[in-house]
Amino acid sequence: MVERIRREFRKRDLCYLGALLLLPLIWPDPHLHHLLVLAGIYAILALGLSLFLGYAGQISLGHAAFFGIGAYTTAILTTRYSVPTFVAFWASAATAAVIAYLIGRPILKLKGYFLALATLGFGEIFLVMVRESRSLTGGVSGIFGIPWFSLAGFSFDTYLKQYYLIWGVLLGLLLFAKNLVRSKVGRASLAVATSEDAASTVGIKVAQVKVGVFVVSAAFAGFAGSLFACVMSTASPEAFGLSLSILIVMMVIVGGMGNLYGPIVAAIFLTWLLDILGGYQEYSLPIYGVILILLLIFFPEGIGTRLGIRLMYLISYRGRKKKREEVQL
Amino acid sequence: MPLLAVKKVVKDYEGVRALNGVSLQVEKGVIKGLIGPNGAGKSTMFHLISGMEKPTSGNIAFRGVDIAGKEPHEISGLGMGRTFQTVQTWGNMTAVENVMVGMHRKLIGGILSCGLWLPWIKREEKEVLREAFGMLEFLGLSAKWKWPAFQLSYGEQKILEIGRALATGPELILLDEPAAGLTPQEVQALAEKIQQIRERGTTIFVVEHHMGMVMEIADEIAVLNHGELIAEGRPEAIRDDPRVIRAYLKGTVYA
Ligand SMILES: Nc1ncnc2c1ncn2[C@@H]1O[C@H](COP(=O)(O)OP(=O)(O)OP(=O)(O)O)[C@@H](O)[C@H]1O
Ligand SMILES: [Mg+2]
Repeated sequence: MVERIRREFRKRDLCYLGALLLLPLIWPDPHLHHLLVLAGIYAILALGLSLFLGYAGQISLGHAAFFGIGAYTTAILTTRYSVPTFVAFWASAATAAVIAYLIGRPILKLKGYFLALATLGFGEIFLVMVRESRSLTGGVSGIFGIPWFSLAGFSFDTYLKQYYLIWGVLLGLLLFAKNLVRSKVGRASLAVATSEDAASTVGIKVAQVKVGVFVVSAAFAGFAGSLFACVMSTASPEAFGLSLSILIVMMVIVGGMGNLYGPIVAAIFLTWLLDILGGYQEYSLPIYGVILILLLIFFPEGIGTRLGIRLMYLISYRGRKKKREEVQL
Repeated sequence: MPLLAVKKVVKDYEGVRALNGVSLQVEKGVIKGLIGPNGAGKSTMFHLISGMEKPTSGNIAFRGVDIAGKEPHEISGLGMGRTFQTVQTWGNMTAVENVMVGMHRKLIGGILSCGLWLPWIKREEKEVLREAFGMLEFLGLSAKWKWPAFQLSYGEQKILEIGRALATGPELILLDEPAAGLTPQEVQALAEKIQQIRERGTTIFVVEHHMGMVMEIADEIAVLNHGELIAEGRPEAIRDDPRVIRAYLKGTVYA
């Protein structure tokens, strides 16, 4: 069943791709384009965390910090040193990855609640450092005037262009993540998530696997942060706080653990929902809480593995036909 | 030099002395049994040998290397595999993937090369898939290679766990109660498989309550009782040893 759904996906990947390309053209509303841009950025974040949380089974409540590290790296490099955005984009991911490696080595020895607390602490320390080192980060007010992302003279200066840029990057990272999960890295991650004992007795270095996946997911967040800085043209600390970290975790849980498409679907869904709830920002944490509880009650395996796949499966004609065959059997 | 030499090993848990100065050896190429009543310390012995617990005192040498302070993955790298008393397969992976995890160390790809799915990663993965499938064929599980492990029967999962341990290419494999929970037919098939594994060159150290099977396949048996070694020898000798009968075999029905 699971395997068949996976095959279905492969066949229909092209259709989704076509739909993604056409969507903003069919619906030329700048607000929608902007939302899709944000959704794409969150989807990159969720995709990265999905590897760490959904596959390797480790919690991180400080992921917004890597997003922030990416954004500030790009902000500082482009505004202070006039580094091209394309170079800053890679430098952002590299910086996030290096920092993830350095803090991952010690804190990934922790498990469960302790790991949650340590990563949460890391996120808070990041915020304090950003606020305090004013000369570098502009303190509370942040950095302004970050240039649009540009590549070989082409500037991504409208929401529509940014949409294609960001969903293009998302697609590339999705392919990377898909390859990772079907390789030894994905198998080792799942093995570590289920039983560290069993994994270590077949020669897997548990600590190395965890740090490796953590670094990858931080690099994804670094890419997302860099794109975010270019899209918003500013970087300021309040964008990278605990509520974002929790939002990313929610996207993965709602999207479904051990699944790459689900978190992307969840990122779009939650971005849209937050836009609707935009007027109630001060209540965002309780609202997230309620949404999370409702979703976990009704879709305990995540919408990705239940609703999302189920829906896509049913929508397609082949899916319906197969369904009928199954019923007859 | 014996393949495995355990010397005067003591293991204290809080308030419990699980092993009290046990010494034993496993020679290369044999099937050695480890028996004893519940709580005798058999699983504890396996945890110490495989590095999952550290002995309180004493030492353990495997292939001439002192392994008492080493991590499980290092000991695995030296050529030791094991299974668990309560089955620990990876339910969310397919049967063949479970075996492929056992081949983790044979794959040299890193995160970047795997993520980019470079041509040699593709070849490497294909190779390992073929090898893992071969392992399932040997174990009689190849028809279910694509099943998620949680859908296999208990007995099949126990076999799969052995396959995963064998996939690491071990010199020595520790089996903790492989026959527990199996049907009589499955036990018979398991006994044959264990003998075939030995013929393929892997030494076997097996904890088992199923006396019929141990007596049939083991070349030598060690008996633990309350953390102490009370007897060691050939199966016939063990069966007739009065101390063993008093401590353990009394009332055992030979299946
Ligand atoms: N982690 C632990 N903490 C405390 N005591 C333990 C622990 N593990 C085992 N013990 C104790 O050590 C003793 C030996 O346990 P062990 O599991 O080795 O027995 P066993 O011979 O494998 O028994 P069984 O046949 O029931 O599997 C028992 O008294 C057990 O309660
Ligand atoms: Mg035991």
